[in-house]
Amino acid sequence: MNHTQPSADQLLSRRSFFGRTLWGVGAGALASMMPSRILGNVPIQATVAPKAKRVIYLFMSGAPSQMDLFDHKPKMHDLFDTDLPDSVRQGQRLTTMTSGQSRFPIAPSMYKFARHGQSGTEVSELLPHTASMVDDIAVVRTVHTDAINHDPAITMIQTGTQLPGKPSLGSWLSYGLGSENDNLPTYVVLNSTWTAKRDAQALFSRLWGSGFLPSKHQGVRLRSQGDPVLYLANPDGVSKETRKDMLDGLNAMNRKQFELSHDPEINARIAQYEMAFRMQTSVPELTDMSDEPDYTYEMYGPDAKIPGTFASNCLMARRLIERDVRSIQIFHRGWDHHGDLPRDLPLQCRDIDQGATALVQDLKQRGLLDDTLVIWGGEFGRTIYCQGKLERTDYGRDHHPRCFTMWMAGGGIKGGVTYGATDDFSYNIVENPVHIRDLNATILHCMGFEHSRLTYKFQGLNQRLTGLDAEANVIKGILA
Amino acid sequence: MFFICILAKIEMLAESDLSFSADIRPLISKYCVSCHGPDKANRKADLRLDVKEGALADLGGYAAIVPGKPEESEFYLRMVTQDEDDLMPPPDAKNPMSPEDIEILKQWIADGAPYEAHWAFSAPVRKSIPEVADPRWSRNPIDAFLFDKMTDSGLTPQDEAPKETLLRRAFLTLTGLPPSPSDMTRFMNDDSEDAYEKQVDLLLNSKKYGEHRARYWLDAARYGDTHGLHLDNERAIWPYRDWVIKALNENKPFDEFTIEQLAGDLLPNPSLDQLVATGFNRCNVTTSEGGAIPEEFAVRYGVDRINTLTTVWMGVTVGCAQCHDHKFDPFTQKEFYQLFAYYNNLDENAMDGNAFIYPPTVQLTKESDKEKLADFDRKIERIDKAIRLNLASIDYEDPGVGYSTRERKDYVWIEDEIPAGAKASDSDGGWQFVSGAGYPTYEGIKSHRRNATGSEQHFFTEADEELVIGEGDTLFTYVYLDPIKTPKSIMLQFHAKDWEHRAFWGEDLIPHGKGEGAGHQWMGDLPEPGQWIRLEVPVDLVGLSPGDRLDGWAFSQFDGTVYWDHSGIHTNIPQGDEGFDSFAAWLDFIGQVDGKGLPEGLASIAKKNAEKRSGAEIQILRDYFLEHVCSQTSFLFSALQDQKENLRNAKNKYLKSIPVTLVSKELKEPRETFVLVRGEYDKHGDRVNPAVPEVFPPLPEDAPNNRLGLAKWLVDPAHPLTARVMVNRFWHQHFGTGLVTTAEDFGTQGDLPSHPELLDWLAVEFIESGWDMKHIHRLIVTSAAFKQSSAITPKALKVDPGNRLLSRAPRYRLDAEVLRDSALFISGLLVEKMGGKGVKPYQPPGLWKAVAYPTSTTANFKRDDGDALYRRSIYTFIKRTSPPPSMSTFDAPNRESCTVRRERTNTPLQALTMMNDIQYVEAARCFAERVIEQSIPDTNQRLNYAMRLAAGRSLTDNEQSLLNGLYAKHQKTFQADQEAAKALIQTGEAPLISDSDPVELASLTMICNLILNLDEVMTLN
Repeated sequence: MNHTQPSADQLLSRRSFFGRTLWGVGAGALASMMPSRILGNVPIQATVAPKAKRVIYLFMSGAPSQMDLFDHKPKMHDLFDTDLPDSVRQGQRLTTMTSGQSRFPIAPSMYKFARHGQSGTEVSELLPHTASMVDDIAVVRTVHTDAINHDPAITMIQTGTQLPGKPSLGSWLSYGLGSENDNLPTYVVLNSTWTAKRDAQALFSRLWGSGFLPSKHQGVRLRSQGDPVLYLANPDGVSKETRKDMLDGLNAMNRKQFELSHDPEINARIAQYEMAFRMQTSVPELTDMSDEPDYTYEMYGPDAKIPGTFASNCLMARRLIERDVRSIQIFHRGWDHHGDLPRDLPLQCRDIDQGATALVQDLKQRGLLDDTLVIWGGEFGRTIYCQGKLERTDYGRDHHPRCFTMWMAGGGIKGGVTYGATDDFSYNIVENPVHIRDLNATILHCMGFEHSRLTYKFQGLNQRLTGLDAEANVIKGILA
Repeated sequence: MFFICILAKIEMLAESDLSFSADIRPLISKYCVSCHGPDKANRKADLRLDVKEGALADLGGYAAIVPGKPEESEFYLRMVTQDEDDLMPPPDAKNPMSPEDIEILKQWIADGAPYEAHWAFSAPVRKSIPEVADPRWSRNPIDAFLFDKMTDSGLTPQDEAPKETLLRRAFLTLTGLPPSPSDMTRFMNDDSEDAYEKQVDLLLNSKKYGEHRARYWLDAARYGDTHGLHLDNERAIWPYRDWVIKALNENKPFDEFTIEQLAGDLLPNPSLDQLVATGFNRCNVTTSEGGAIPEEFAVRYGVDRINTLTTVWMGVTVGCAQCHDHKFDPFTQKEFYQLFAYYNNLDENAMDGNAFIYPPTVQLTKESDKEKLADFDRKIERIDKAIRLNLASIDYEDPGVGYSTRERKDYVWIEDEIPAGAKASDSDGGWQFVSGAGYPTYEGIKSHRRNATGSEQHFFTEADEELVIGEGDTLFTYVYLDPIKTPKSIMLQFHAKDWEHRAFWGEDLIPHGKGEGAGHQWMGDLPEPGQWIRLEVPVDLVGLSPGDRLDGWAFSQFDGTVYWDHSGIHTNIPQGDEGFDSFAAWLDFIGQVDGKGLPEGLASIAKKNAEKRSGAEIQILRDYFLEHVCSQTSFLFSALQDQKENLRNAKNKYLKSIPVTLVSKELKEPRETFVLVRGEYDKHGDRVNPAVPEVFPPLPEDAPNNRLGLAKWLVDPAHPLTARVMVNRFWHQHFGTGLVTTAEDFGTQGDLPSHPELLDWLAVEFIESGWDMKHIHRLIVTSAAFKQSSAITPKALKVDPGNRLLSRAPRYRLDAEVLRDSALFISGLLVEKMGGKGVKPYQPPGLWKAVAYPTSTTANFKRDDGDALYRRSIYTFIKRTSPPPSMSTFDAPNRESCTVRRERTNTPLQALTMMNDIQYVEAARCFAERVIEQSIPDTNQRLNYAMRLAAGRSLTDNEQSLLNGLYAKHQKTFQADQEAAKALIQTGEAPLISDSDPVELASLTMICNLILNLDEVMTLN
């Protein structure tokens, strides 16, 4: 053995995985950035005992109306078309879509509510499937946010701040916890088709972007058309065997280069090409749902057979969870109901109700719900007052950041809970407010992090999902 | 290894003298400053520990720090006390101190607690260049500064890299492209002493230099081709990108480069170029989201501009001072808004209107454009003259048929086809004209039919010949309802200026319009099915008034099958080319409709009482009548009018082809600026005036206190940061890591420079060279440090894994753009056209659509063809909410916010991109074709030539036999499956240039694909 040459193992440094500086990030986060196949399983250095290992975020882009779905306000029926009292509005700001309205008439929900399950959680008739699993979910009625328009609000809920440039939740988790699967991306994003009117709020790649974190932490879109993962398929005429031959040659050439320069980065590259090759098998296996039995489709509904629907994406999420993918984000657009709410809201609910419910129940049956956190909600709420023309069965609602409803289930969450209370108008919070920061702190808590400890130094500051210096509190009332 | 490094660091500290900047300030920052720092509002116990005055202040008989006496220093005692109530940092801060850190601080107090000002906030001073014993190493002053520290650590520099490696390194770092075979031959044959230096000069003078260097600047400037927020529509600003490339190629001194971008508009008599440069200030993301509050976004844009400015020029982030005094660096909240005030006077609407041309803008009209436009005007004037002559020669006599006596009759607008020029809808299956047996027809040979489920419709808009509405007219159509599949409702909708003119029959199910009235008029029950019925809609019932003009008509229904036919207007107004014969009748008509439909000047005359019109006015009306209306005379003018119309269209088209770009413009009256309480846009605090932070030198004496002055201040030689920050970034771009690793943070929280004297020497050199950017690049790339080999020794790996001491050359993965451009260059595909509108090369379909607002102008990606597929990546169109995926995968930022340092990752998605992206596969195929064409037909020769093209070196024997074996294997595979070979070589748009044997070409394509994926080829080595 030539003792002047470093051994390959010696050179298999972690530099390539540091992304930035050797000293800039916490040891726990660093260690977990190594793929387990190189370093062996590195234990996750969580700062609190983790309850969940994986997370599925069902995001309803456009902002679902809380008082038509979860936040039941029966007193509003008698106040139909009366003006929202100034004492309720308290001069709070409105969007410029309704700030010019001469009056703010109350639009009671036209939907029937009932209590469900042992917990008696109230759910509207639009979500019959969700209603059937209320004992598994915690409904939080008092989430609030700082932004009043979609772009900043959706950026806020996904990245912790209204301005572009910060990492998304899934990226933070990828950075903090690393991957448990060597053959699939750590963070997967699924976009769904939707049924309500065509104009839907836009999404942005920043919503699953890695911001200032290394780009390996960004979400990978799993697509229902074309290559499921971009550039996954070999070119026409190149078989799996041909690719294997080429890769064997490539790795042999790269190893020779390593013998000359001893740059550990070369070995890291060899490992990445090997993983790419494995993905070419593992992703098609993942997306080929022909092995799902009939009862799966009975559970998830007929939509689940149509690729790209929310129900199909929910089924995909379960398959991803089975394969230990860390974070899954499903986007469903079309919830921005400024007008014609009674026309569009039922269509949107039909899109998501059965799939979301089946996902939670399916995970539960497979014993996966205990360590999987499921979150449902949009970027803000909607106003009790009507935007535009008002009839008993025809109304629209503007944006409302001061309170809205989300639900959570699974790892670390107590089922059958309804948390927080809003006033009779679902306008102001009267009990247990939950800021987006609190929500994110709670998600991180369930995943094993004290929110202020998952940090990354950038621009001289210890950046974190919950913002630089504002308070964030874990919502203890919904924890199991 | 990580943990070993930490131990090594601690040992090192114990043995050496403590430095305030390196050892003490980081600890005070980490443990103390968030409560005892510059932020007045949140300071606890009125104690400040980041400055000496605070730490030593008399706190009533005791002090936080008593120099030399740790045991009397409250600061120290609080760290070691057993009393939880007194312990610092407080236990609930969850930030406990390590014993090592406490020991270091204790030692520092014992040493006399010396404080130092933060290194980066005082101006750089040029220190004398150290003498270096080893002349072989010291190429220029840079090396002298590096040598000592390196040898102190027991390291020695590497030998100079082989010539071919050097050449490739210089090409890639200066132009972003590898050398061509002829470049290689020329350089290898040049034995002169300064062959490398000459080559560097050639590269610095190449146009490709600017195309490569500009992208670093565009990352910092957050340049993109869309607005970035919400709709993310396209934005007109690429001329700014071209300005940057040009300025860098011209080596515009950095002070001018700065001033023109930040405040070119405020220079005396700014040139068009100087205005284009101010696009820098307009590169921020903007919105026009419905409901957005303009004041809120105006503040956001201002904050973004200040953050960008301070990051790019000063390497500090003042953003946190938006809400409160900065916790670590000496910037107060008030100072933040004083800086903000410089930018608060931009004359810009906070809502971008989703407009491509978002004012203020300039149009880049060249002299040649002006001549061309004048030429159009001259030609148009000639035609006008001919028209005037013709008018003068007409001897018109009014036939005297009164308008009011004309009988009403049916004028049919839609029969067997939609009116000329109209745009038919394509939703719901579009228009379906039917004829023949089984289909009822009322008139002509066809009717139009629809079989609907729910609400469906077909319609047209923009008909050339509009239907003119007269007093008391009736719109009509014939309808036949299928007796079995009867609809629940039918609706007619008429488009004048909008669609708010609707009439419906049957149930109220069709969701267009609301309530009652002209926009949603119920006409009665459904007509009798199974027969043609005439439907009539009096114009006033649907809100149409005399003189209105219809250019569109919609036929809507809910469920069922409906046939429509023979539609038009029952009127006494001449329609289409019927024209008026009588001037008197026409005057009567235009009076009735108040001049609706006439050009502006004429409409006001038409509105006048007939007796009040002057002779000249009557003449104008008469001329217009004869030229445009009168059926006896107007045809005489149609040829001239057509010519004129064509010229006008051509002129407009030409005007639109002249690029427009967003620029900065100052308001005449400055806006008032206030401190915003907690950073909230609607909570005004004290009013402030523009000013620079106190910790820095004031504005230069001759500088005005506005944006221009701010720009001049940044490039004033007294400014401590600008030159340091810039040379550090240049260093970072060549070496892969800066002398200060945190290129974006030179504040107290940033990393310390590895070689402070070198950084300062370079900074002063930069200023004193007249801010000569090429000079600094030349210095760096001609240093021995840059020219040495990149081979890693075990010792170097152990002592200096991050290569901060530069005892070996940099080795790092190439950036996204360089990877793509190099592949195109190697394959011979690169199109070296400079500048122009962003191009859209290959990208998998559906990516934009999946995220976009459906009505965005960038909702649908339409790939370009031909040359546009092979341009340098700096010209690739950047949609900021869905940037080009092959670039993001390689860490290119999405340009939503300022980036001065990219991450550099290594992922499986990168491997997939390099192996399978059509751009790279096509490049491999064309690369293979090039090899076949240019080398002799011998496999070994070909493989070797391919390697030389891509890696700039020949294959070793070992590699040769490896690739030869693989080539034979591929050949065998493709021989057995020739269809596969044919499929592979058809990848991409570029036509096959050779008639090579498909098996041979496919096999070599796979080898070239391998070569483009080699670590060595993807790396600056």
